[in-house]
Amino acid sequence: MPSAAATLKPEIQFATLDQQGETAQLGIWVFLATETLFFGALIFTYYIYRMSYPEQIAHAAKDAVLWCGSVNIGLLLTSSLTMVLAINAAAQGRRRELVFWLVATVALGVIFLGVKGYEYYLDYKDHVVPAANYVEKPGEGPAGEMFWVFYFVATGLHAIHLSTGIGLVLYMLWRVSRGEITPAYYAPLEVVGLYWSFVDVVWLFLYPSIYLVGRS
Amino acid sequence: MKVDAKEAGALPFVIAWLLMVGLVGLSVWTAFLPIGVWSPIIEFTVAAAQTATIFILFMRLKGPPSLKWLAAGTGFFWLLFLYGLSMTDYTTRSSWPS
Amino acid sequence: MSIATDVEPSFLESENTLASWLFTKDHKRIALLFFASITFFFFIGGFAATLIRLHLANPEGLLQPAMYNRMFTMHGIVMVWFFLIPSIPTTLGNFFIPMMIGAHDLAFPRVNLGSWYVFNLSGLVLLYALIMGGIDTGWTFYTPLSTNYASGYVFAAAMAVFVNGFSSIMTALNFVVTIHRLRAPGMTWMRLPLFVWGIYAVSLVMLTATPVLAMDTMLLAVERFLGVGMFDPTRGGDPILWQHMFWFYSHPAVYIMILPAMGMVSELITCYARRPIFGYAGMTMAMMAIAIVSFFVWAHHMFVAGISVYSAIVFSLLTFFVAVPSAIKVFNWTVSLHKGVISLDAPMLYALGFVLLFTIGGVTGLMVATLAVDVPVHDTYFVIAHFHYIMVGGTVSAFFGGLHYWWPKMTGRHYPELWARFAAILTFVGFNLTFFPQFILGYLGMPRRYYTYPAEWQPWNLLSSAGASILAVAYVLPLVYLGWSLLYGRRAEGNPWRATGLEWQTPSPPPKHNFETTPVVTTSPYAYNPEDGSYVTQDGTAYA
Repeated sequence: MPSAAATLKPEIQFATLDQQGETAQLGIWVFLATETLFFGALIFTYYIYRMSYPEQIAHAAKDAVLWCGSVNIGLLLTSSLTMVLAINAAAQGRRRELVFWLVATVALGVIFLGVKGYEYYLDYKDHVVPAANYVEKPGEGPAGEMFWVFYFVATGLHAIHLSTGIGLVLYMLWRVSRGEITPAYYAPLEVVGLYWSFVDVVWLFLYPSIYLVGRS
Repeated sequence: MKVDAKEAGALPFVIAWLLMVGLVGLSVWTAFLPIGVWSPIIEFTVAAAQTATIFILFMRLKGPPSLKWLAAGTGFFWLLFLYGLSMTDYTTRSSWPS
Repeated sequence: MSIATDVEPSFLESENTLASWLFTKDHKRIALLFFASITFFFFIGGFAATLIRLHLANPEGLLQPAMYNRMFTMHGIVMVWFFLIPSIPTTLGNFFIPMMIGAHDLAFPRVNLGSWYVFNLSGLVLLYALIMGGIDTGWTFYTPLSTNYASGYVFAAAMAVFVNGFSSIMTALNFVVTIHRLRAPGMTWMRLPLFVWGIYAVSLVMLTATPVLAMDTMLLAVERFLGVGMFDPTRGGDPILWQHMFWFYSHPAVYIMILPAMGMVSELITCYARRPIFGYAGMTMAMMAIAIVSFFVWAHHMFVAGISVYSAIVFSLLTFFVAVPSAIKVFNWTVSLHKGVISLDAPMLYALGFVLLFTIGGVTGLMVATLAVDVPVHDTYFVIAHFHYIMVGGTVSAFFGGLHYWWPKMTGRHYPELWARFAAILTFVGFNLTFFPQFILGYLGMPRRYYTYPAEWQPWNLLSSAGASILAVAYVLPLVYLGWSLLYGRRAEGNPWRATGLEWQTPSPPPKHNFETTPVVTTSPYAYNPEDGSYVTQDGTAYA
C-alpha cells in the first residue's frame, strides 16, 4: 500500500481533508456556472437567429448528420454513467473496478471524437463548411450560413472541452496508479467527474439545437 | 435511495441512464412530427429534464438545498437576464429581421 | 508596544530565490506579483493618455489621425482590462481577504498563481498587437468595423481580452469559495469587513459577466479570421447582437471596477473617522443589489445604436433603479463622518475625494441614463467625463487610498505622510482640472474619438490637458516616495492606524501563513468609539 495515502494531510488553509474536498467541489461547481454562461451566450446567438429566420435555419439544419449526433449523445450519456460508477468504486475502495470504469469513460470519449471527426468529413463533402467550401443551398439564405458557423463553433468548442476532459481522466488514471485516489480522499476524481458530466450536459442542449431542426 | 458514493449501488444510475436514452428517442421522434413550435418546446424540455437528472443524481446535488445548488443554478438563472431583456429589443425593433 | 522576537520570518524574507517568488503559493507574494503587472500596464495606459492630451491641446494636433485612433483604443483596452478590472481585487484583495477573514491562504493557491500567469500571457498577446501596429476600433470593438473593415491586429487584441477573462474568472472563483468556506470561527457574514463584502460582490459579477464577453470576443475573432460569422449585416447578421453581448459584460464590468473601491472606502472612512459605519446592513445589501441590478441595464450604452425605442425606455428605467443603492452608500459614508474624530491622513484624503468625485460621476450617470439627454450627449466628451469621474476619480482614488492604508502592513515601512498628502491633494486638483472641462465640451457637442475639433473649443481642451499634466505628476509621485520608503521609511509596527480588522493583529509585514493559530472572532467590524478613542479589534481585544 503506497505511503502517499497514509500521510495525506490537508493544505495549510484547510482544517480537515473533508473541508478541502468539499471546497474543491464547490470550486468546480462555481466554474461550471461560468461554463453555463459561456455556452449559454453562444446558444443565445443561435436562439436569436432561429427566432428571426426560422425557415432558413430549418433548411440549413436538414443537412446536419442526424445519426452522428444521435450516436454521440448516446456515447456521452453512457460515459456519464461510467464516470459515476468509477467514483462509486473509488469511494468503496474497489480499485480494479475504478480503473475499468475510467478506461471505459476515456474510450467512450475517444469514440465520440472519432464520430465527430467523421461527421466533419461528411460535412465537408456536403459543402456546408463556411470559409472553406460553403455553398448556399436553395431556401437557406444567408442565415443558413450563420447556422453552420454556429454549428462549427459550438461543436468545435465542445470537442475541445471533451478533449480536456479526456486528458483529465487520463491524469486521474495516473494518480490512481500512484495510489493517490483512496476512499479516504477521492475529491480530485469527483471534481473531474463533475466536469465530465457537465460536458455531457452541454451536448444535451446542442443536440436538439443542431440535429432536430427542420425535420418535419 | 442513497447516492452518497460510499454506499451507492449501480442500479439507480443504470435506470436513470436508460430513461435518459429513452428520452433521446422521444426527442428524435418529436422532431419528425408536424407540430410546429411544439417540437422545439418538447425537445428542450427533454434536455432540461435530462440535465436535472444528471445534476441531481449523477452530480450528486441530491439532498438539502446547499451552496452547490446555488452555484449550479446561477448560470442558468443569469442567462434569463440576457435572453429576457434582449427580447425587449428583438420583439419591438421594426427594422429586424432585415 | 514591546517588540516581540519574531520566531517566524515575514513573508518577504521567508525564502529569497527567484523560484520562491515565481512558483509561490502565498497569496501575499502573488498580490505583489500582480502589483508589478498592473503598475506596468497603468503606465502604458497612462502613456497613451499623455499622448492623447498632448495631441488635443491644439486642434492641429500632434499625431496622425490613424495614430490618434490607435492611441485612444490602446488607452481604453489597457486601462479597462489590464489595470482597472484587476487593480484592487488582485492586489489588495489577494493580500488581505484571507487575513481579514482569519484564514491562512485562499482556497486555491495554485489557481491564484495561475491567474497571474494567465494575466501576463494575455498582456503579452496585447503587447504583441500594440507593438505590431495596434488597432483603431476603440476599446469597444464594435462590429462590423472590427470584423470586416478595420486594419490592424484586431484578432490578436480580441484574443488578448479573451485570455484576460480567464484570469478574472480564476481570481473571482477563488474569492467566492474562500469567503464562503474559510472564514474563521465567529466570523459570520454580518461581521465581515465591508471590503470583504465588496470583493465578494465583485467576484460574483466577474463570474457571471465575463463568460459572455469571452464568447463575444471569440465570435468576433472567428468572424475576423474566417471572414464569415454572425454579425455581418450584408449576410443577415445583426451587429447590434454583438453589442448586446458586449455590454451585457461591459456594463457590469464598470461595477467590477467600482465595487472593490466602495468596500475600500468603507474601511478608510471608519478607521480615519474613528467611527463604526452607519448602516452596516444597508451597505452590504447595497453592494449585493448593485452587483445584481447591474445586469439589467446594459443597453443604456446602446440607446442610439439601433435598438428599439421601447427597449431603450425599459433600460433607461432600470438604469435609474441601479443608481439607488449607490446613492444609499454615499449617504451612509457621509453620515459615518458625523461626530467622528477625523484625521486627514493621506488614505482619508483619497477616501473623501472618492466620495465627492464618485457622487459627481454618479449624478452625471443619471443624466445620461435619461433618454432625452443621452441622445445629444452620447459619444461626446460628456460621457467620457462621466466615466472618468467614476473610474479615475472613484476607483483610482480608492486604490491609492487602500495602497497607502495598507502599505505599512504589506511592507513593514511607513510612507512619508506629508508627501502622500501633497500627492493626494494634487491628484484631486489635477483630476478636476482634467475632466470637469470635458463635461462642458461634451455638452457643447465635442464628439469623442475625433482627432480634431473646432478652434473655439481649444480653451477648454487646453485646460483639460494642463490638468492632465498635473495629474501625471500626482501619479508619479507615489511611485517615487513609496519606492523610497521601502529602503528608508520608518519601520512600522503591527497596527499603526489602531484599526480593528484581523489583518492588523499580525506583525508588519505578516509571516508566511498569516496567523500562528486561527483567530476566533467575537466582535463586529469597526468597533471604534469616537468619544474616547478606544476600539475593540475583531478578535475581541479592547484597546484604550
